[in-house]
Amino acid sequence: MIGSRALGLGVVALMLAALASFAPVSAMVPTCAAAGAHHAALVVDHGDGSAVTRCVAFDTRQISGEQLLTLSGIAWSGQTFGGFGEAVCALDGEPARYVDCPGKESYWAVFVSNGGGAWQLAGVGISSLVLGDGDAEGFRYVPASGVAAVPSSPAGLCPASTPASASASAPTSRVSGSTSPAIGPSATGSSATGGETAGPSGSLAASASAWSAAAATGAAAVTRSASSGPIPAAPGGPDTGLLAASVAGGALVGLAFLRLAARRRSRK
Amino acid sequence: MSAAGDLDGPGLAPRAWLVWSIAAVSVAVLTNNPVYRGLVALVALNVLLAWLPPGRNRKPLAIALAVAAIMAALINVLASHTGADVLLRFPEGLPLVGGPITLESLAFGGAIGLGLVAALLAVAPLSLVLEPHDVVDAMPASMERTGIAVATSMNLVSGIGRTFVSVRDAQQMRGWRPRGLRSWNEVLVPVVLTVIEDSVLLAEAMEARGFGAGRRTSYSRHAWTRWDVTVAGSAVAAAALFAVMRLAGVAMDWYPYPTLALPPIHPLLVAGSIALVLPALRRR
Repeated sequence: MIGSRALGLGVVALMLAALASFAPVSAMVPTCAAAGAHHAALVVDHGDGSAVTRCVAFDTRQISGEQLLTLSGIAWSGQTFGGFGEAVCALDGEPARYVDCPGKESYWAVFVSNGGGAWQLAGVGISSLVLGDGDAEGFRYVPASGVAAVPSSPAGLCPASTPASASASAPTSRVSGSTSPAIGPSATGSSATGGETAGPSGSLAASASAWSAAAATGAAAVTRSASSGPIPAAPGGPDTGLLAASVAGGALVGLAFLRLAARRRSRK
Repeated sequence: MSAAGDLDGPGLAPRAWLVWSIAAVSVAVLTNNPVYRGLVALVALNVLLAWLPPGRNRKPLAIALAVAAIMAALINVLASHTGADVLLRFPEGLPLVGGPITLESLAFGGAIGLGLVAALLAVAPLSLVLEPHDVVDAMPASMERTGIAVATSMNLVSGIGRTFVSVRDAQQMRGWRPRGLRSWNEVLVPVVLTVIEDSVLLAEAMEARGFGAGRRTSYSRHAWTRWDVTVAGSAVAAAALFAVMRLAGVAMDWYPYPTLALPPIHPLLVAGSIALVLPALRRR
């Protein structure tokens, strides 16, 4: 009895120690006011093969994918899906109008590249994505069936280093290699209506009125300004969370087997 | 002597069990993330294995878990035709099930089933570990009578089953055979009448034993120990952590559509799920 209790305590102590070492060091809401501008790249690959790229500068240590997209000035509209976050329904005028979000034929696949690494398909909405200096956010309009192809490489879009003196109070953006016409700041505001929703058009004048309506399922939000809403909590990295869950799950399965074995022994 | 009501043993207070169960179910329903739901299911399984009295029939629970998981997965995979990875296609003409069967809908159905399994395992100690009177004791005083009424009505469910079998057997001995829906009247009417009669008898018996006359008394109540407080406190903290993280906008849900991807996993929420394991550290 004492032995099994000690064993159980040992297993839980091990699990807690492992989890403690995985815990994210950053705060829940990292509104760090560190001096110096940071940069993150944005790549938008349209279905027709054309691409729009941006390098967005920001002052905070981290930025959400939604804020990066908003700061880039590219017109977009989205829809909130509970804990998933914001899904992109239409981006830079594609599709011009939509009923379903994500679309049944094609949709905007979201990718993230951390520190110049390879594109990774994002498992959460853009409002839940956390990007830092040197990261990149990618969008590619892909068919709903089949594996989503990755966007163009973000390499070279942003400067390799971020000098502290380049800090600015207002976020800035510059355009490089864009195939679409220049786009002004995005519109704000949201509403929910039924029926077909207009996608973002190529210019502010057209987009502000055209895509303020929401998808039929409701709760569609158009872009927010950079200062609105908290930056989502740092997820601690997908690998860290996965490792923590694997350790915890493995320990629990092991403990269950030990219990079952003990029950069988006591029955004999 | 009940498993939980033993004052001298290492038992857990019935009310601490109730708090733990409610917290575990809350965690399982606050997110549809299969990782957290799977962890809660594993935690609840460990707790159950640690506290299940020997000789207690586990078969009904196993059947309920299997049915809940399989039905949830099956319904979602057959009714939802969204997703990028098509496994097979049913003819479009088939109502509801016609169309592509996708890996994504199968995964989402599995996550729903996992949630049901986790919730069932979380409430299982209330029926498999605690005695019925312990459950009534665990209810807040204002809900005590309601709890008794609900527990009694739940007992009637199995009574209906037994009555149905006996009436059907009796009718078959008299030559009755099922011939369409109408023929079942000859079984269902006696079943309903018998169940009503049983209910009246039960109500009279309960009244004769003083039900409704005043507060229920008991020989001894389980005094809360430090262990009870620790278990209940950690369970409440785990549920509160999930609630706060959801309110803070942390991504904790998982949607496999349109393309299957790994669910987001936050180490703090993994720790919150593991915090529920405390009752498993002691055995009955």
